[in-house]
Formats: sequence, C-alpha cells, structure tokens
Amino acid sequence: MTKIKNAALHMFKVLWQPFLAIFLGLIVGAIVILIVGHNPITVYITMFQKSFFTLHYLLQSLTRSVPILVCSLAIVASWRAGYINLGVEGQMTVGSFVGTLVAVYMPGPTFVVIIAAVLCGMMAGAAYSLFAAFIYDKFNVSIVISTLMMNYIATYITTYFITFSLRDTSSVYAIQTKEIAMAMRLPRILPGKPFNLGFFIAIALVILLMFVVSKTKFGYESKMTGLNPVFAQYGGVKKTRVMYSTMALSGAIAACAGMLEIFGIKFRFVESMFTSTGYAWTGLMAALISGLHPIGAGFTSIFLAGMQVGGQNIQLSTGIPVQVATLIQSSIILFVSVQLFANWRKKSKLKAAADSKKAGDE
Amino acid sequence: MDINYVLSVVNSALRSTTPILLAALASAICTRSGVFNVALEGQMLIGSFVGIAVNWVTHSPTLAVLAAIVAGGLVGALVGILQVRYNAADMVVGTSVNLLVGALTAILLFVVFGVKGGFKDPALVPLPKVKLPVISEIPYLSTLFNNLSPLDYLSYVIAIVMYIYLFKTVKGYHLLSVGVKREAAESMGISAVKTRIAAVIASGCLCGYGGVALSMGQVTLFAENMTAGRGFIGMAACNLGKNNPIAIIFASLFFGFSDAFAATTQNTIPSQLTQSVPYIATILALIVFSRKRKKKATKTEESKAEAVS
Amino acid sequence: MKHITKIYGNGVLANDDMNLELAESEILAVVGENGAGKSTLMKILYGLEHPTAGEIYIRGEKQVFKNPQDAMKSGIGMVQQNFMLLPPFTVAENIVYGNEPRKSRFLFDRKKAKAEVDELSERYGLGIDSNLVVEDCPVGLQQRCEILKVLYQNADIIIFDEPSAVLTPQEVDSLLDTLRNLAKAGKSIILITHKLNEVMAVSDRCIVMRGGKHIATVKTSETSTKELSAMMVGREIVDAKIPQATPGKTVLEVNDLVKTGEAGKPILKGCSLHVNEGEIVGIAGVSGNGQTELLHTIVGLMQADSGNIVLDGKEIGGLDVRSIRETGCAYVPEDRNTMGCALKATLSETMLMAHQYEEMFNHKGILKHKTAAERFTALLEQYDVKYSTLSQLSGELSGGNLQKLIVAREMSHHAKLLIVSEPTRGVDIGAMEFIHNQILKQRAEGGAILLVSSDLTELLKLSDRIYVMYDGFINGELKRAEAKPENVGILMMGGSADD
Repeated sequence: MTKIKNAALHMFKVLWQPFLAIFLGLIVGAIVILIVGHNPITVYITMFQKSFFTLHYLLQSLTRSVPILVCSLAIVASWRAGYINLGVEGQMTVGSFVGTLVAVYMPGPTFVVIIAAVLCGMMAGAAYSLFAAFIYDKFNVSIVISTLMMNYIATYITTYFITFSLRDTSSVYAIQTKEIAMAMRLPRILPGKPFNLGFFIAIALVILLMFVVSKTKFGYESKMTGLNPVFAQYGGVKKTRVMYSTMALSGAIAACAGMLEIFGIKFRFVESMFTSTGYAWTGLMAALISGLHPIGAGFTSIFLAGMQVGGQNIQLSTGIPVQVATLIQSSIILFVSVQLFANWRKKSKLKAAADSKKAGDE
Repeated sequence: MDINYVLSVVNSALRSTTPILLAALASAICTRSGVFNVALEGQMLIGSFVGIAVNWVTHSPTLAVLAAIVAGGLVGALVGILQVRYNAADMVVGTSVNLLVGALTAILLFVVFGVKGGFKDPALVPLPKVKLPVISEIPYLSTLFNNLSPLDYLSYVIAIVMYIYLFKTVKGYHLLSVGVKREAAESMGISAVKTRIAAVIASGCLCGYGGVALSMGQVTLFAENMTAGRGFIGMAACNLGKNNPIAIIFASLFFGFSDAFAATTQNTIPSQLTQSVPYIATILALIVFSRKRKKKATKTEESKAEAVS
Repeated sequence: MKHITKIYGNGVLANDDMNLELAESEILAVVGENGAGKSTLMKILYGLEHPTAGEIYIRGEKQVFKNPQDAMKSGIGMVQQNFMLLPPFTVAENIVYGNEPRKSRFLFDRKKAKAEVDELSERYGLGIDSNLVVEDCPVGLQQRCEILKVLYQNADIIIFDEPSAVLTPQEVDSLLDTLRNLAKAGKSIILITHKLNEVMAVSDRCIVMRGGKHIATVKTSETSTKELSAMMVGREIVDAKIPQATPGKTVLEVNDLVKTGEAGKPILKGCSLHVNEGEIVGIAGVSGNGQTELLHTIVGLMQADSGNIVLDGKEIGGLDVRSIRETGCAYVPEDRNTMGCALKATLSETMLMAHQYEEMFNHKGILKHKTAAERFTALLEQYDVKYSTLSQLSGELSGGNLQKLIVAREMSHHAKLLIVSEPTRGVDIGAMEFIHNQILKQRAEGGAILLVSSDLTELLKLSDRIYVMYDGFINGELKRAEAKPENVGILMMGGSADD
C-alpha cells in the first residue's frame, strides 16, 4: 500500500510541472482562439471530445500517435547523449522510402520481404544520420546544421525519384510509389478502423528504450556523455563510439516511425508525406516536454497526437487553423523550459546550498 | 555563354544573399555575446509575415520594413529573456520558438487574410528599386545592379557598421568581453544578462529585416514557412565567417550564389534536384572549410544539450 | 569596519562581530586558516556580499556598498584569487576595461589606453609590456595586470586575496616588493593570507581570525610566526609525524615523453619519472608548465608524440582510458566540477563512473543498480560524505563533500597507481586532513601515488620524493629530506639545484 502511495507521490513530483505547463499552454491557445473569434471553452470541449472522449476519435488519436511517438523516441536516443539531431524528419523519409521500395519490388516470400524491408529501412535511416555524425567527427560540422539541411535534401531527392523513375503511373495527380502487398500490411485491430498493430509496436519500443536507458551500460554511458562529456571520457567512455551508436540508433528508430506509418496506414510512399504532417517536429516537442524521458515521451506523444486530431476536427467544423495545436504545444515547451515554478520552489533551497558551498570553499 | 546571362545570375545571387547575410549577422552578434541562438528561423519568418501584413494594411513598404524589424525584435526579446534570464536550454527554446512562429504566422495568415498556405495580392506595394545614377547607364553593370532594393544595399552597410561596433567601440568591447568571460564583465559592473538580452533582441531585429527582405525582395508575397531553413544557412555562414561581419559577407555571398544557381538551372535540370542544391552546398562548404578547430568547437556543441535533461 | 556579522542563508556564521581599521600607507595582514572567514569579510568590504549586521566607514563617512562598483567609487579595489581578466585581449585593453578612454564619445581609443597604461606601470615600477595578449602571459604577469587594473581605477585601498597562492616563491618576492612600493606611494593595503612568512615580511599590523571571530590584532614587529600560528589554530601546532616510506618495486615508469600541442607549441619536452610501491611522489611546478598534460597522457586522455609509459610492467602508451584504468590506475582529477563529476548526475551515477565495467556492477551490459546502491552507501559512510540520498544531484553537495566522494570513488579501485591532482583545492580544513590521511593510508598499504599540487605546503608534507616541472620538462628531483620551499622554488622558476 505504502509502495503504491510512494509511487503515486513520485509520479506527482515528476508530473506536476508538465501538467502546469500544459495548462498555461492551453491558456495561450485560448487567447489565440479568442482572437480568431471563437469561444475557447466550447472549442476546447469539442477538441477533446473529438480526440479522446469518443472511441472513434480516441482510436484516431492513438493511430496518429504512432509515428509521433516513435519520432520522439528517436529524439530521446540522441539528445540524451548530447547530440542534437534535428534530422529525424529526413531520416524517417529516407529510411521509410528505402523500406517501401524493398517491400514493393523485392521478390520472395512475404515474411522474408518484410524482414528485409524493415532491416534495409532501418539501416538507411541509421546511415543517413551516421553521415551527420561522421562529418561532425571528421570535419567538425555542427550536427544541428547538417541534420537540418539533410531534411530538405531527403525530401527533394525522394520526390525526384517518385516523380520520375519510381512513380506509380496509375494515378495522374498523386506523386507516389506503388502500394505494398496486402499481406505485408500491419493487421488492424478492429474491423473498419485504421487503428492497427503499429501502436503496440510503438509501445514495445518505448519499453525497450526505457530499458536501454535506465538499465544498461550503454544507456548510462550515453547519459553521462550528454551531461558532461569530459567526465565520461575521464571514466573511460569512448565518446566517438557513443556518438556514432546513439546517432545510428536515433536514425534507425526514425526510420521505424516512417515505416510504421506506411505499413500501417498509407501503404505507399507519397511525396513529402512526412514534411507536410510534421510528425518529426511534434515528436521533438513531445520529447522536450517530457524532459527526454522515454515513458514520458510516450504519454506526451499520445496527448499531442490527440490535440492534432482534435485540432483537425475543429478546423473542419469551425475553420480555426489546425496550427493552433502546434502553437499550444510549442508554448507548452517554452513553459516547461523555463521551469518557472520549479525555480520558484527550489530557489530558497538552492540559495542555501550555494551559500554553504561558498562558506565551505572559502 | 552570354555575358549578360552570367551577370543576371550574379544579380540574382546578390538578391538571394540579403536574407542569409542578415541571418548570419544576427547569429554573429549572439555568438559574440555568448548566446547560442537557434531561433533565427522563427525571427525571420515573423519578419516576412509582418512585413506583408503591414504592407497590405498601410500600402507603405517603409512602414512594412520597420514593423518587420520590430516584430523580429519582439521574438528576439522572448528568446533572450527565456535563454538568458531564465537559463532555459538554447536548443529547446530555439526549436520551439521556430515551431511557434511557424504556427503563429499560419494562424495569422488565416485571421488577417482569410487564406491558408500563402498570400499574394496585386495590391501589395513592392519595394522601390534603386537606380544608381551613373551605373544604370553602363550596359553590363546595369544588369549586375539591376532591380536591387535599398534593403539589399543597406545590408552591406549594416555588416560594416557591426564590424566597427564590435571591434572599434567601447560598447562593442564590452559585448565581446561578456562573450569571453562573463564573471570578468560582471566584476566591472557590466551586466551580462542585459548585454546578452540586448544582443538577442538586436539579432531579432536583424532577422526581421532579413525576413522582410525575403518576402518583399525578389517577390512580394508570403508563404507558410517560406524561410525554408535560411536561418540555419545563416548560422552556417556565420560559422564559416568565424563571427567576423566582413568575412560573413563573403560566406553569405557563396550561399546566395548557390541559391541563384538553383533558381537559374531549374529549366534544364528537374527542379526537385536543383532545389536541394543550397542545402547540399551548405554541408559541403562546412566540410571544405572546416579547419581542425575541433577542440574549441566541441565544447560549445556539447554544452548545448546539457541543460536539456 | 565595525561590528560586521555575516550569517549565510544556511545558518553558517562566517563573521561574528568583526572590527577592522586601516590607516593610510599601511599594510594590514588578515590571517587565519581556511574557513576562518577572511574572504567573507573582504567580500563584504568589496560589496560582493552584504553584512547581516554592522557598518563600514571610509574616512569617517558611513558607506553602504550594494555591489563592487560602489566600493570602487569609494576607492576600494580588490585583486581576487581567480583573475578577472579577458584572456584573448591585450594587457592594455584589460587594464582599462570598464573605464576605457574614448574618442568622439563611442569609439574605444586604444592608443590612448596603451599610453596611459605604460605611464601607470612606469610610475609604480611594474614593468609590463602592454601589447602582450593576456593568455600568453605567465601567472605573475597576469597578477600585475590585475594590480594595474585596480590602480587604473584610482583605488586607495587595495585588497589582495591570497595573492601568493598561484605564484612561485621568486614571484612572491617580487609581489612583496610591489606591495611595499604601493604602500610607500600612499596606498593602503589589506593582505589576506595564511602564509605567515609573508605577513612577517611586509605587514605593519596583523589581524588574526578564527572561526569567524576576531582573535587578536598585533603589531607585526611585536610578534612572531610561532605566536601567530598558535593564535590561528588555537593550539600549538604539532607537526604531524609522517612515517618513513618503504618503497617497493617500480609501478609506473615514464620515459622521455614528448608532446606538441596545437600550433606546434611544445607542451612536454621529454619527461621521465618513476613511482614505486609504497611511496608518494609529488610533482611541483607553477600551474601551466605541463603537469596537467603529463597526467592526461599517463591516464590516456591525451596521446604523446613519442616516449613510453610502463604501468605495472605493461606498456600503456597509446592505450585508451579504459584499458589503462583496467591495467591498474585511478585518477582524482584537478577540477572536480568539470572532470570529476557531472553536476547534473545523481550521486550513484557519479560514483559508478569508471566502475561500470566491473563485474560487480555489470552483468553482460546490464547494470546492477541494487548492488551498486549498497556498495556506494557503505563507501560514502566510510569516507564521511554528508548527503541525503543517492539520487540527489552531485551539484548539490558542498565542495569538500564532493571531493571526498570523488576520492572515495577512485580509491575504491584499489589500483596499483593512484594519481591525485589538487586533492584539497577549495575544501575545508577537516576534509583536507581526511583526504591527506586517506592518501597516507593508501601508501601504507603499498599503493604507488603520484601527487600534483600547487599548494607547496601540502606537497612538501606528503611527498617522499618531488619532481619539479618547468616549461614541459622535469627540472629536478628532490628527496623528502632535501626538499625545502627555497630550492623547490628555484627549480620551479627554471633555475638549477646548484644555484
């Protein structure tokens, strides 16, 4: 019993701040909705009804959360070690593009093709992010800039291929590849709803990453490299190895995010499908709100996905742009980032600590 | 090849350079004061939007430019206060401000103009073009300097003024000192917080200027996320120019040329490929001009993530 | 200063009803052990800290200093222990910093700055080339630069906070000359120190502090080192008897190590040394003469260009940090905050560093958190570290406790070779003694210890042998019996032992 109580207390300690930030973010959103000329309360009520509180929309939100959630894990994997990968979008584009091509064109038994497609996709995503790691290691090119540039490159190059050589010519308008075979698609859980096995794979990835982060030597070493690389090196951690492995992991996870979307929902690679949806950036926001904690990132992703679904439904019914959701989300991060209220609470504590330090150091 | 064609490419490069140059100068002033500012993109985008919006309402390009600069400065103030005053992690603030401005401009686009995606209207007043007295008479030079707006010329003046400010004035010396060693500055009563916030606000104004140069320079329109990574390309230019405003001019020209190259070859090579040229050029330039200054840079790169977790 | 009392937020009483008077042209020494409250008192005078009670009068007028700028306006300047200089700028630029001569209102008149600085340094006989870039200057020159900066601000009262801590004995002599000259020129000087020979050499009067309290004010001419030290410590000092070392076989052997840094600047110019079982070998030298690089090369954080390093009979040159640690090496680094820990890591994460490979804590890549927690709790208890839980952050510990934690972590390797750098920098006297005893204990158990410290007293107390480093090479080796501050000082300056 006390154990449960302690756990609840711990949960509260970890969570009260994000919740406060979410509340403040919603207030910012309310102001904007007022400016657009609607009643924020009714808008929010519809938004949450049409995202979480009806089964139909809940399933829609959960389905939408899959790529976002997995992208947020990709961010967690690299950012924890201090490597600022802003190229999840590019990595998921390249990875899932390659995975789709293998699935569409490789001959052979379905099972083998699926395995090959997933592996090739993950390797492509990893390779794409490894390039950024490599030019940082050898030429000191900032990962922030290179990964961001590579997002645009990935989008344009894949578009080039599907516009010309790899295009599905059966459609005149849509620029996209051929569909993958029925047998390779992720099975749906309920008939008639797009909600599919992908969600559970995503949850499994959360648990897996949580295990890696908290229980393994690799997770420990990458966290230490992120907190203080000099300290980690001093303790025998090989910094470049940590960089390459976390960046590769991040790229591979990003590729999974794209492939789950394609194998579960879209069944083909469509021109700039991940640029227009902004999954990677929503995932980034989820990772930041949760302070780079895998499980927190999981919950936050579902929440943000719900907001986007709700936002879209509001756009349909009221015409308020769906970007209101992004606006609320990014203001939430800003509120989290300043840790306004934690500072206020901790201030007296820290000051005392600093004073005692001064006195001790004297 | 026709010499006039080449000159027109150079001319187009000059026009593409302006927004990048401004973003790079913005990055430089932040870096010099010891702030890592990743929100350049957002600061630019707000400038692009506000410029067009004010232009639409007032029909005055001058007011539009001024409003864009103010808007950029306001976003800069937000970034500065969060990062400097509240010690929020730079990457977190930067990326979320970029996303925030992206969303905000899309919403405002709908609120103000009632459209989604982009806005273009004949009623928008384009910037006046500068007609240089003598040069516009000379055949080749006139092509070279054709169609440049005052914003384009002014951006080079700003770079030179920034150089003088940083390296020749007392205030500039104080700004550099804050970037070098914060405690030393504070021991002399120079407030690091104030200096840095001021630098970030200045960077916001510069970006706002760069943004309006983008939306009212070659074209007069606004499109969602029209900055398309130029804030980051500006960071790369600043990096290549080693935070020196004069060197930054040349680095920015390089990126301007790659932009112009992409624009002029569109008819011969599929546009999907040419569009990626500026981004590939950025990475290549960073690789080629990397000196092994690794030790110093490594430190700053890694300190970024530190505050995140 | 009258009745100054300072109580920190955590209840630490740093100053208790302190009084202090200073006359013109006087050199007043304030002495006391670490933690006696000297620095706090001076920070109050300089406006860096605010007194809980008490008042400050200058020339009879009551003053309230909100910040150092207020103090500067009243003619108070301070040469702090860690210099407030801007490394990439010139001496002249640094000296006029904050009060720059201008031309046409905004522009920084660098020519005039240089002229004024040259004039100033000539007037006070502080020879310095104002064109030098500060980061290229040796510490002694940097200190002069700080002094000139204070003079440029027209200070009449100059506070020196432990000015000799970073200097060689010879540089100290020239510093003391400077102090005398300044006093002669009409400046009043407060010298904070715990080195009594300096007090005897220059001061007119001396205030002794202990535990935040004023113990005595004496004329220097009427007292002796012995009396002062008795007052400082509160009892007669008994020199801790350190038992004779019994060195065994060689554990570490370094031969002819050469390392060239960036831009071709030589850092190590052929260093050779050896450390045996059961002895403490010290490395003396002014900081920045290659000691840090030498240690980093031994532990594998840097690679040498040539030369070899043999640890426990195995060549370790070129190996990575982990392999070298596993061969039998532990390292207490000189800076606990930047290298010794991650301030935002928990205590158990900090404790685990470099132990994460050991079978005790790691089963096929999976960490054994439970075993680790038990082990760390026991270890922290043994090393008398005050903390609340293992999940608190390292940055929340006080300096002394964090240092003890790092020492505990490294000593628990029971490595053949223990490298210790600046083990007691900035820790209180209790922690210092504790750490010294731990080092001696390790020696008694047959450990080989390589000790680097800029605190010569500490080095002379602990070391059985001392190597002196100067400009990247070993400039001499002294046995415990031969090593005296004077001859070590000459070697630290690049002189030879026969001088």
